[in-house]
Amino acid sequence: MGLALAVDPPLAAPVVDDQALIAATLAGRPEAFGELVSRYERAVYHLAVRTLHDATEAEDAAQEAFFKAYRALGTFRPGAKFSTWIFTICYRACCDRLGKRKRLSRDELPDRADPSAGPEALAERNDEARRLHAAIDELPEKYRAVITLYHLQGKQYEEIATVLNLPLGTVKTHLFRAKEQLRKALSL
Amino acid sequence: MSSFETPEHMSNHDDDALDRALAALPLAEPPAGFHARVMAATVYRPEPAMRNWETWVIGTVVAIAAWVTWMLATSPLAGDQLADVAAYAVRTTGELTSTYTVLWLAVGMSAAWWISQLSVPSTRSRIEAR
Repeated sequence: MGLALAVDPPLAAPVVDDQALIAATLAGRPEAFGELVSRYERAVYHLAVRTLHDATEAEDAAQEAFFKAYRALGTFRPGAKFSTWIFTICYRACCDRLGKRKRLSRDELPDRADPSAGPEALAERNDEARRLHAAIDELPEKYRAVITLYHLQGKQYEEIATVLNLPLGTVKTHLFRAKEQLRKALSL
Repeated sequence: MSSFETPEHMSNHDDDALDRALAALPLAEPPAGFHARVMAATVYRPEPAMRNWETWVIGTVVAIAAWVTWMLATSPLAGDQLADVAAYAVRTTGELTSTYTVLWLAVGMSAAWWISQLSVPSTRSRIEAR
């Protein structure tokens, strides 16, 4: 299924599973962690930038996620999914930043459109991907997070629930409503 | 024609089509040098010269040394007091290593080891055994 495209290992390289890469990293092979970073950097950055709507902050949050994951690699539970783990760390880092931003600005969380996407910018979004991105940007934060993880992880609802620390039913409801809003937005 | 081109098409836009559109969305590209920065902050991060606990130990020793030096420099009786404390410490240490103390320590440790070897079944397994 193409939904998990972002986290597929590079095709040219021999496929080594994440567990083996974690074990190799813990055994002192830095290139193994490099491979893990290569596999997930786009997905993690994507999650951060979609959640925070700020490229600089997203980069910091994604970097922080990898740093925390590296430091806690020894505590990673064998059998768990690295993607879920790193997305959870990244999402929490993003939530922390959103919380700080809220405290600083005394404003509501930015669950509205990307501030950089004004009417002119939106008008320029004439292809499918851009229209869909714009529609996702318009979603409330809780729906946007679910749809972003759905994009990254596919139909793995339990994994999405773990990352967002939400009950499975809530994730399904959010996803349903997010899709409804996307359909509505795209049909305008 | 794009699947999002017309409202008619969009009104019939089913779940699968939206799923396909989502799956086809390109991921945001991390900024140049992101991978290198992550690696520099993790696996290639230089080890700190000292670990946290080493810093604390050295700091404590330095603080005590500074305090003792200051005490000796400011109080004329500090030298005698320090000598008394040192003598007391030596005496106490000597008592700790006396045959009598070592014997009791051995008895205590031996008792602790024997007790640790006893296997007392948990309440649940005792109930199940009945």
